[in-house]
Amino acid sequence: MTRFTLATEPVDVATWRDALKHSGSGGFCSFEGWVRNNNEGRDVSGLAYEAYAELAISEGERVVDEAMARFGVLAAHCVHRVGDLKIGDLAVWIGVSAAHRDEAFRACRYIIDEIKHRLPIWKKEQYINGDTAWVACTHGAHAETDDHPDGHSHESHLHAPSTFTPDYSRQTRLRDVGDTGQAKLAAARVLVIGAGGLGCPVISYLAGAGVGTLGIVDGDVLDASNLHRQVMYDARDIGQRKVDLAARRVAALNPAVTVQTFAEPLRADTIADVFAQFDLVVECTDDLGSRYLANDAAVLTGTPLILASVYQYEGQLQVVSALSGHACLRCLWPVPPSPALAGSCAETGVLGPVPGVLGTMQAMETLKLLLGLPGAGDPSLQLVNLLDGTRQRLPIDAATGCALHGGCMTVAQRALDAAKVDIDQRFDDLVDAVARGFVVVDVRDADEIDASPLPIASLCVPASEIVTYPLDPFHGDMLLVCNSGKRSHHAARRLRQRGVEAYSLVGGLNALRDSAVCA
Amino acid sequence: MSRITVQYYAQLREQAGASIEQIDTAAATLRDLYDELCGRHGFTLPTDALKVAVNVRFSDWGRAVDDGDTIVFIPPVAGG
Repeated sequence: MTRFTLATEPVDVATWRDALKHSGSGGFCSFEGWVRNNNEGRDVSGLAYEAYAELAISEGERVVDEAMARFGVLAAHCVHRVGDLKIGDLAVWIGVSAAHRDEAFRACRYIIDEIKHRLPIWKKEQYINGDTAWVACTHGAHAETDDHPDGHSHESHLHAPSTFTPDYSRQTRLRDVGDTGQAKLAAARVLVIGAGGLGCPVISYLAGAGVGTLGIVDGDVLDASNLHRQVMYDARDIGQRKVDLAARRVAALNPAVTVQTFAEPLRADTIADVFAQFDLVVECTDDLGSRYLANDAAVLTGTPLILASVYQYEGQLQVVSALSGHACLRCLWPVPPSPALAGSCAETGVLGPVPGVLGTMQAMETLKLLLGLPGAGDPSLQLVNLLDGTRQRLPIDAATGCALHGGCMTVAQRALDAAKVDIDQRFDDLVDAVARGFVVVDVRDADEIDASPLPIASLCVPASEIVTYPLDPFHGDMLLVCNSGKRSHHAARRLRQRGVEAYSLVGGLNALRDSAVCA
Repeated sequence: MSRITVQYYAQLREQAGASIEQIDTAAATLRDLYDELCGRHGFTLPTDALKVAVNVRFSDWGRAVDDGDTIVFIPPVAGG
């Protein structure tokens, strides 16, 4: 059955919708793209779509097939108009029916993103002033119809000398790459989270290889202490935003690459929408919270994720394929350890080449997946020790991980939901918290409690034991308190991952004392 | 008594002061072994923050320690 149609006449939505009805369907989702009256500040009066029809149809069919296979939906169809259209006309229609709404939403989103990205369809805009202009509907063009969900990203097409043409001959000569592989790279959209020690080699190699779109996330500015390992930057760059520096570096290295920058860390409420715009994500931060968030979003959106991290002279690498039955980060370590236990480059030190090696390995794993090379997506934990030159590959048994707690999807959804909640609660007096129905849990150690006991009745459970303590007999939301609010925040997060409605007293008892003094 | 090889990564390597050592132990399970090593090296990480692998396979903390095993303790690390 054909699943993609190029239509020269107005689309009869009701007929297409009815054709997707299925007795096993519990959810239907559709997307309509309409002709808008303005683009990039210019008033548009209408437009004409023109397609390379044979290729558009075969690639369109492929996109819809991929969505059906990937998300397990029952029926799907996409219709794209060609010819002259007026303001308000329907330009593209997508319908998906599935057993459950989630697959329908995700498949619908996947199809529109891929259609806009991959199909050889151009539009000629007619402006009010009589001008016309051809606009490619591929690549960066998606910015002009649907705005980015988090509003803090932007695309930059920084132009290098117009005479430059990338020469990929050294890699296309490889039998497993060739022109077909190069086309796959050009069509690929990869998100790199963190433009630091790991991110520098990842971004450089992927840009050099001709990956079509690179998203770069980093909220930091360059510091002098970064330069020993972050080899894309130099001393003149100190104080500038890394996303801007990285975008400039990519533009200089390979102007054929489109860069999209995100100057704030990704947040739990928008990360899945960002991931849905990319084919693959590489996590390169030094932040365990970011790594777990990326893991959860990757699992939920079905986006492959390449994780790596370093410690002094060694590193770890894990590919999360996000395929059912394959292990994720939480299959190995279900909850992040407290930041104090995991260590960061700032606290424990690192030698520059260590993230260089691990980031290079991440770039390699990325290219293997994008090109479908042998060994791609191996779901093992790789340990690399650069002092003694040893390397271990430890296969991960997915059956003993999240599978014991409802599966990666369930675990990831629970964690992402928990991360969306603002768990920090502000009180001037713990009596108010009790009046609001909170069960107060003092997570300080026994000697701290002895030195300064709480003025109200509370449970006393040290933070290190909170996860194993039987809290079931206590009903109501838990308010965890410690001296500064740090231990209680981390403990509340861990409890939430176990389904407990836990909150943390922001600023801890120190803040309570301060407010009492002020009063 | 079992003679085993233990390998450490990241913080554990630092706290143990070595990446590999051979020891004789009477520990019955991996959990007992880790408790014993905590006493010897002052490890600060609890077992629920660690993975353990035996002979290049991830393993359960309840697994018995056998003569000749190569045991690896792996914490998650954060640097980037």
